Parts: sequence; C-alpha cells; structure tokens
Amino acid sequence: MKAIFIIYNQAHTEKVEYMLDMLNIRGFTQWTNVSGRGSETGVPHMGTHTWPEMNSAIISVVDDTLVDTVLDKVQKINAINEEVGIRAFVWEVLKSV
Amino acid sequence: MSIYGSAVKKPITTIMIFMAIIVFGLYSLVKLPIDMYPDIEFPAITVFTTYAGSNAADIETNISRPIENSLNTLDNLKKISSVSRDNISVVSLEFEYGSDLSEAANDIRDALSLVEKSLPEDAEKPTIFKFSSSMIPIMMFAITADESYEGIEKILDEKLVNPLNRINGIGSISLIGSPIRQVSIDINPQKLEAYNISVEQIGTILRAENLNMPSGNIKMGQMNYPLRVEGEFSDSDQIKDLVLGNFNGQTIYLKDVASVRDSIKDMTIDEKINGKQGVRMMIMKQSGANTVKIAQEINKKLPELKLDLPGDIALTTIYDSSEFINGSISNLTNTLMYALIFVTLVVMFFLGRWRATFIIVLTIPISLIVAFIYLYVTGSSINIISLSALSIAIGMVVDDAIVVLENIAKHIDRGASPREAAIYATNEVWMAVIVTTLTVVAVFFPMTMVSGMTGIMFRELGWIVTITVVTSTMAAISLTPMLSSKLLRLQKNNNEVKKFSFDKIVIPYFNRLDNWYGKILGWSIKNRFILIIGALVVFVGSLFMAGNLGTEFMPETDEGRFSIEVELQSGTRVEKTIALARRIDSILYSFPEIQLISTSAGADEDGGMMAMFFSTGTNIINYTVKLKHIEERTRTIWDIAEEVRKQLNTFPEITNYNITLGSGGMSGGNAVDVEIYGYNLDVTTNLANELAQKLKNVPGARNIEISREKSKPELRIELDREKMAAVGLNTAMVSTALYNRIAGLTATIYREQGEEYNVIIRFKEEYRNSITDLEQILLQTATGKTVRLGDVGQVKEYWSPPNIERQRRERIVKVSATPYKVPLGDLAANIQAEIDKMDVPNEVMIEVGGAYEDQMDSFKDLGLLLLLSLVLVYIVMASQFESLKMPLIIMMSIPFAFTGVILALLITGTNLSVIAALGAIMLVGIVVKNAIVLVDYINLMRERGMDLDQAIVESGKSRLRPVLMTALTTILGMLPLALSTGEGSEIWSPMGISVIGGLLFSTFITMIIVPVIYRIFATKGERNKTKEVRAQFDFMNN
Repeated sequence: MKAIFIIYNQAHTEKVEYMLDMLNIRGFTQWTNVSGRGSETGVPHMGTHTWPEMNSAIISVVDDTLVDTVLDKVQKINAINEEVGIRAFVWEVLKSV
Repeated sequence: MSIYGSAVKKPITTIMIFMAIIVFGLYSLVKLPIDMYPDIEFPAITVFTTYAGSNAADIETNISRPIENSLNTLDNLKKISSVSRDNISVVSLEFEYGSDLSEAANDIRDALSLVEKSLPEDAEKPTIFKFSSSMIPIMMFAITADESYEGIEKILDEKLVNPLNRINGIGSISLIGSPIRQVSIDINPQKLEAYNISVEQIGTILRAENLNMPSGNIKMGQMNYPLRVEGEFSDSDQIKDLVLGNFNGQTIYLKDVASVRDSIKDMTIDEKINGKQGVRMMIMKQSGANTVKIAQEINKKLPELKLDLPGDIALTTIYDSSEFINGSISNLTNTLMYALIFVTLVVMFFLGRWRATFIIVLTIPISLIVAFIYLYVTGSSINIISLSALSIAIGMVVDDAIVVLENIAKHIDRGASPREAAIYATNEVWMAVIVTTLTVVAVFFPMTMVSGMTGIMFRELGWIVTITVVTSTMAAISLTPMLSSKLLRLQKNNNEVKKFSFDKIVIPYFNRLDNWYGKILGWSIKNRFILIIGALVVFVGSLFMAGNLGTEFMPETDEGRFSIEVELQSGTRVEKTIALARRIDSILYSFPEIQLISTSAGADEDGGMMAMFFSTGTNIINYTVKLKHIEERTRTIWDIAEEVRKQLNTFPEITNYNITLGSGGMSGGNAVDVEIYGYNLDVTTNLANELAQKLKNVPGARNIEISREKSKPELRIELDREKMAAVGLNTAMVSTALYNRIAGLTATIYREQGEEYNVIIRFKEEYRNSITDLEQILLQTATGKTVRLGDVGQVKEYWSPPNIERQRRERIVKVSATPYKVPLGDLAANIQAEIDKMDVPNEVMIEVGGAYEDQMDSFKDLGLLLLLSLVLVYIVMASQFESLKMPLIIMMSIPFAFTGVILALLITGTNLSVIAALGAIMLVGIVVKNAIVLVDYINLMRERGMDLDQAIVESGKSRLRPVLMTALTTILGMLPLALSTGEGSEIWSPMGISVIGGLLFSTFITMIIVPVIYRIFATKGERNKTKEVRAQFDFMNN
C-alpha cells in the first residue's frame, strides 16, 4: 500500500477526478483551495491578488501496482501545459485500520 | 457555491434567468410611453382672488399682500410672487422640484381659510389653480375655409372635435378664433328716443315674445289634448317684424328703430393662417397620457375625418409635439445603434475572435434591457434623458465582460478545458471586476440624490447608468463564464498560420505599438520632473483658457418653430393692428424657410385658454411660424429670428416685439432677468426703462422686455352722486344702462336645429364711438323720466395705472433679455456691468436672475456632485488598494480629463452648459477606471518581484491594449452622440463632446503621467518591505 499525494492547479480538477475514476481508485481525500509554491519552476499559487491561482490536493492510498500508472497519468496531465502545474508524491503506508 | 460556479454548472438555468430578464425587458419596452423628458410637473400653484371694483394698488394692499403673508411659511416653498391688476389678484407659488403638489394645495387651503376673514368682505373666495402639463397643447392645427367659414364652428364640432374626443388620453380640444353666430339688433338711439322706448324695454319684449309654454290640458270628447303656446321665433327673420308698441296710433316694429342682422359676431380677433381665414384647433392631453401615441392616433384618424368635411376646409398642422419627440427619439435610437456597431468593431479589432466578440457584445443588450424594466417599474418613459443615459452606458457595459473573458481565454490557451477555465479564471478576477464597477457607481449613484431642477433631469440618468453597469457586472460573472465554457475552444497551435489571419496582420502592429509605448514610457520615467512640470503648465494653462468658455444653462434647441408677439401703441384699435399684421405677413412670406404662418391679431373677448399662454389685446399680434424641416434649410432658427428682428425694427409703429423660439418647454427659456425691487412705482418704472434702453446696446442682448405693462388710456365716467340722487338714479343703474348700450344686452336666445344663438341688443356702432355719443346716452330714471348721461356725470380720459407685480413680498419689475450668439453667462456679466454703472436709488435693489439664476444654482449643485463623486471614488479605491497614496496617484488623471473637456469645448465652440458639465463629472468615473487598470498591474508586477522601473514599463506595455480598448469603446460609443445633428441633438451633443474630449486627452495623459507620478511617489520598493520583514525576524539569524 502506498499513499499518493497529488497537488495540482484547480484548473486540472476535472482531469484529476477523471483519472481516479478511470483507474478505479475509489478512496481518496481531497482538499480544495489550498495554496503553495513549487520548489523549482512555476509561479506561486497563493490565491492572493498578486498570485491569484489556487491549488487543490488529493491523497489516495492505492495498491503498489497502481503507483506507476498514476504517476504516468499525472505526467501526461502535466505535459499539456507545464505552466499550469501538477505534482505527485508517493509515501509508504505502514499500517492501516 | 459561487455565482460563476453555479452559472457554468447550470447553463440552462443561467440562460433561462437571462431569458426571463429579456422577456420582461421587451415587455416593458413595448409598454413604455415615449416622451421628450421624464415626467416633470412644474411645481407651481396659483391663487386667484377677484375683488370687483378696486384698482391695482387696492388689490395689492387688501388681497395680494395678506395672502402672500399667510402663504409665505409653507413647506418647500421656493418663491412667492404676485400680480395685482384692476379687480384681480394672482399669487403664484413656486415650490421645490419634487414636492408633493396635492399636499401643498391642502396646505394652501388651510392657510387661506385663516386669512379669508381678514380679506375685504366683497372679495370673492380665493380659488386655487394647479398648473399641470395637461394644459399645454400637444398638437395645434390650422383650419382654413372659404365659403364654409361662417358655419365652421358647428361643422368642426360635429365632424372633427367630437370624433377626436373619443381618442383615449385626449384631455380637451379647443377651437380658437372661430366665428360665432349671433343675432345682432343694432339700435338707432335717436329713433328710440323719438318713440320713447328704451333698450331694456326692447329686451323685455323680445324675451316675452320668444317663448314656448305649456298651458295645461283640454279634455274634448274622449281625448285629452295638452295645450301649448308656441311663440318662439322659428326664423331669425321674424325678429325684425316684432311689434314694439304704438306711437300716435301707429304700430312700431323693431325694424323701425334697429337693423337686425343674423350673422357672425363682430370679431375683435383676426385669425389668418397662411393668409387665409381660419381657426386654430388645439389639442390637450390628459396628464400622464402618452403624447406620441395620441398624436399617432389623431394623425391616423384625420384623413378619414377630412373626407366628411366640406371641400373648401383645409387642415394643416401648425405644431405637433410628437414630431420633435419622434425625431429626437429616432435620432437617439440611431445613435444607440451606431454606438453598438462601433463597440462591436472595437472589441472585434482588439480580440480578433468572433466567438469572444459575440459573448462580450451580448452583455450590451442584456444590460440595456434591464434599464427598460427600471423605466417601466418606476412609471417613467423612453425619453431623451433615458436614451442618452443608455448611450453613455453602452461603452462601459462591455468592460467587465472583456476582463473576465480575457482571463478565461488565457486559461484555455494554457490547456484548461473551457469549463474549468471559465470557473477558475472568473474566480481570479471577479473581485477586481466588482471594484472597478464600484468606482463607476460611485460617480453615477450620487446623481440620483441631487436636488432641484438638475436633480429631476439627472436622477434618471444616474439610476440608468448605475443599473446597467451593475447588471453588466452581474452578466460578466455569470453569463460570460457560462457562454465561454460552451463557445470558446482551444485554438490549435498549428504552425500554418493563415495568410490573412488576425494573428498575421493585426498582432504585429499591436506588438510594435506596445514596444514603442514601452520606449516612450522608459524615457518619461527618466525625465519625470520635466514631464510633471510640463503637465502642470498644460493643466494651469487650460484653466486660464477656461475663462474664455461661454456658459449657459441648457443648450438651446432648434425646434423649427417660433412665435412672435408684436405690440403696438397700447389702445390701438384692432383694425389698425390687423392692417399692420397683413404687412408683417408679407415680410414673413419672403422667407423661403418659412412653411406656415398663423397670425392672430387683436383679442378674443372671452379670452379663455389663449389668454393663459399669450397676452392678448387689441394692440397685439401673435404669430406662430413653422419652419421647414431642419435638414431642408441652411439657416438656423436663430439666424432666421435675427433676420426677422431686423425687418421688424423698420416699423416705427411697433413699440415692442418679442420672438420666442420653440415651445420654451422645460428649459424654461434662456433669458437673463434683471429683477428691480422697489416700492415706488414711478422710480422703478423709470429705472426699468433706463435699463432696457441701455440693454439695447449690450452685444447679443435680444428680446428686451419689461414685465410691467404700460399704462393704457382709458375712459372713465365720473358720476355726480348729488345730481343722480336728484333724478332718482344710482351708480348701479347707470352702469347697467351703459353696459346694455355699449357692450350689449343679451336679450334672449334664438334656437335653430338644436343650437342656441344669442340675440344681442346694442347701439349701432356709429352711435357709440365718441365721447359726445356717450354723453348723449339717455338714461331712464326710476320715476320714468329721462336724463342724459352728460347731465349726471363726466366722461374723462385717464391713464390706467399698471399692474403691480411682487416677488418675495416686495414690489418688483423685471427687465429680461435673451442672448443671441453670446453665452448666457457673458450676457449676464455684461448686464451686471451696465447695472453697476447706473445710478440706483437707495431704496431700490437690483438682482440678476432668470435662467442665469437657474444656471448658477445648477452649477452649484453640479459642483457639490463633483465633490461627492471624488470623495466616493477615493473611498472605493483606497479600500481596494488598501492604501491612502495609490488613489491619489490614480486621481491625478482627473485634472487632465478636465483639461481635455475645456479644450474640446473651446475647439468645437460649445458653451459650458449644465449638460456639458455633467459630461465632465461622468469622466471622473470613466477616467479613473483606466488608471486603476494600469496602477493595479504595476503594483502586481512589483509584488511579483520586479524592479520599479521595469515593472512600470512592463505593466504599461501589457496594459496598453486593455486601456485603449476600454477608452475606445467609451469614446466610440459616445461619438454618434457628439456628432449627431438631427432634431434635439443640441441637447446632448455637448455631453458627448465633453466626454470624448476629456477621455481622449486623459487617456494619453494617463498612460504617461500616471506612471511618472507613480515613479515619483513609490520610492519605497518591494525590496524595502523585504528588509523590514528581515529585521522583524532577525532572531533567526543568531
């Protein structure tokens, strides 16, 4: 079991939601309207007058086999336009109830 | 869920909501009446009191003054004035605009009931008269006839007036100058004396003979017959064979002592239309009725009714108020259409996309249609104020949609789906869009609170612009995202750009323009202090130039119609007046521009409605002149009137004349009134005459008039009471006898075919036209003796004292002048200079008022409005930028807008009227909007870490197109307004001129001066802020 944390520009919302459905990932937790900035490229998404764009974030715990597929799809979404911004990070899930 | 989110997710609901708005709007549009101005009741009430037998001075002390004193404390009373004439007092009360007149009338009634007790006993109860717009004729027709002239009244009554009266909304129809049939019995007094009969006896005999009377029933056999005596004249011919009595055994018939004529009444008024005999028909509407609709129906019905009229009766329209309204409205509607086209083209030119243009332009009809709903709900009408408000709004309503759509397009270009882009892009800008709208609202909303006459005019304008702009913002954050999500597509980034595509042709020019501007901006920032000084010089220079600007109250309009009132020496007999009228007629005919002349010379004895609008008298000729349509002539109405004046000056017998242009209407004329207050009538009259004489030499002063009527010669009979008593006469008996012989005794009524005609006995004219004739009049005493008038009294010639006018409870005489080719403000200044040179006695006070006073009041109101708008705009901006400094930088563009206004007015030779000044105030909101766009972006760039100078140049380059676009949509939206030359255009074109001038100038200034001022004020950079923060969290470094 791995946890995938996907953080993306709001403008990608529909694509991300579709991806989860397509991959039959049922469980996830979503935060809407979160702010943040990337480590290397892109503009900050702060929801302020200066940086008006905003992010949403999803964390989903999936089978190990699915991880690469998800990352591949995220990569594809990012390729549409890298300026918009989407990132995914994967953790090991040690235990769950 | 946000509005835009719901709108995008529920497109059908969104479309339905806007459909509902459109349906309501169209319904309102169909139902809305069309009128010239918003419904304005002139807030005036008049109190009439008659007190028979007293002269003007008595009336003043006993009636006018007590009434004035009691009414002086009424609520909302603006001005109280009175005219005291022989026998009658007229107190006029003018209230503040917008006061409730029925309440005022009640207050007046209460106040009068208190004062009535102190009025003289014989005075009649004061009557309250409320003037309403329904008393102004909306249409006037000239009806000429040849052989049917004598019976014209009956014919017209049956065939024209009655059918027309059935049209809904018509208040009343009156015929003026129609001949009245009557049976005149012209007595030869000498024969009457010979037979020892008096006029009164003849009257009694006539009355006794002209009688039908039921006299009971007769039972005969099985029948019951009602009995009647039928003595009524069945033919007017029978009257002359009436037996008056016996004299020396001989029967005396009426024809022996008098000639009997069954013809038309002696006319003291002479009506000629284009030189032909005729009558005038005036049509008044009910208050609140739709002028245009009534006129339409009348015009539709007339051809039908004309068929029933005898062939020699011709009908011409002298005046149709709906014509000018229709002309103005269709002119403005065209203006609106052109504005729509221009705005569409500008948006298309800058965006280069059909779908985007469609989405943006769609907000125009939606926003405008809401204005119709507002008009319908508030019971207003489509009028020139509401339509020009729409013209103003049309360029502004697209701005918000443009901002939203641009951001959505940006997101789509970056790969977002139109749906997402619509939601999230709107989320980013919706606050900014609302705030910029607020600045516009900050300017237009205060207009709805202005008081007085200006307020009445601009309340509607303020509301309409506020409502349309707010609606456009609502549409921009709901309809625009929804339509964008449905209609916009990602433009494929294929490299094969078409040869004639927008990107290939226009974009390079835009880019070059941006770069060129960037360079200029860079240079400007370096030379900022020189530029600031230069700008200051330009601004101060323009203020000095403003001194050359003429001022006026309302722009005058060329309605293609004027009236002339020609006055001859008072007391001139009507025949002489008519003869002169014919000579003036022939002069007027020589003007090729004149289409119709309606002349009325002399006075209608009954006065009636006419007397309310025109002064009449045997020595006065009234002309109504209709000119050809404005497009068919080269000379303006002012030039023609001036030429007519020159011609009238050549008649020595004309003591005074007065040319009034148009209907006067709401602008209330354009005259400067000099008010001379003073108790001594002789002193003030002399002063008024002296001033009037001096005004003739003031350049551009025309129609110089003194309000105090000239003294008229009058014959007075002074009776000797002792002598009268000796023969058993009293004043009442003498005056009745005189009335019966001179004015005529209405003896009885002659009936023919259901109509009744008066039978009037009076002396033949040749026996009543000299003082000797008067003295010869034989009076019968109570004892049956006879005595001549000359034996009991004397006939003396007198000058009747003038009417006494009062204003603000003091005696006043007004000298008024209207300007010709000089601004009203200049004329007032010149007149004031003449007054200053005059030697004015201590007890006399002179003030300059009239339209000039209204103008001053209005400018004061507008000044307050400007102040209020500035404060509100500052408040909105300060809270938007969360800064006290930024709004000041932005507002630096406002003075240059005024420079632009002054320049535009000077170049086009337009006077600064209330309308032009209003345009200047509107600029505050429009101009600031441009500067906000720029300054906001500079702030943004600096916060994103850019260098100050670089931020300014980059923002300038990036915002040049949006600023140009919003400025151009507004300028081109108003261009048709400024350029229109058709009917009524004089009213609103100054507004267009001042807005365009101000915006054009200030846009250029905004793009240079605002960044430069920003550069000067904003020395503290973003980096200083970072330093501050670093200092605050210094502990982390240790």
